[in-house]
Amino acid sequence: MKKIVGLSCILTILLVIPTMQYVLAQDAPGEYLDRRVEIWNLFFRMMTVAFVIGAVVSGTLIWLVWRFRESNPKAKPTKYEEAGEW
Amino acid sequence: MSGHSTWPEWVYVGVVVALLIWVGAEAWNVERLIEHVPEDAQVIKVTGQQWFWTFEHTDGTKEIGELHLQKGKPYKFEITSKDVIHSFNIPDYVVLQDAVPGRINTVWFVPKDTGEFPIQCREYCGLIHYNMRGTLYVEDTA
Repeated sequence: MKKIVGLSCILTILLVIPTMQYVLAQDAPGEYLDRRVEIWNLFFRMMTVAFVIGAVVSGTLIWLVWRFRESNPKAKPTKYEEAGEW
Repeated sequence: MSGHSTWPEWVYVGVVVALLIWVGAEAWNVERLIEHVPEDAQVIKVTGQQWFWTFEHTDGTKEIGELHLQKGKPYKFEITSKDVIHSFNIPDYVVLQDAVPGRINTVWFVPKDTGEFPIQCREYCGLIHYNMRGTLYVEDTA
């Protein structure tokens, strides 16, 4: 089930959304595409993705450093440390 | 190997690959859309030279340093240069294309607002590059 959900998400991102955009972007007669809108929208979409990824990656790193610091009460020695191999 | 579960790593790789493909596909799609010139676009020949712009309309009329266009009509610029590389830029309409000697580059747009808009050279082209400017006048369709 999880695999199906994951696969559908990826397929939606890769195929369905671009196809919908392509269909909806077809010019009606006498109407022309506005390059300002297209270019700035692309920029804003890319910036949204970039900032979300930046937040997730830096958030993960901050959590990782905080959670696995030596002084964390929940910190446990690794099996190598327990065996005195480290 | 270490024997730990690797599925989170594969999920991570999958997400990164999917995002890269999405970014590429979006950019490609927008580029394809904005490069599709309407059939009824009027051709304006744009020539850059140190340090001014010349515009030639389809009826042969020429303008230097200023360009008069009509609101709501599509225009295709055929851009070239007589000397060094320049770059034709109308910032308000996100029009930007290099002017290269011996080569014709094209870009099209539709002016949607009336008014005066700056035209400038966006590629350093010599001593007076900073003043290689022009003005776009967008007028209401008569």
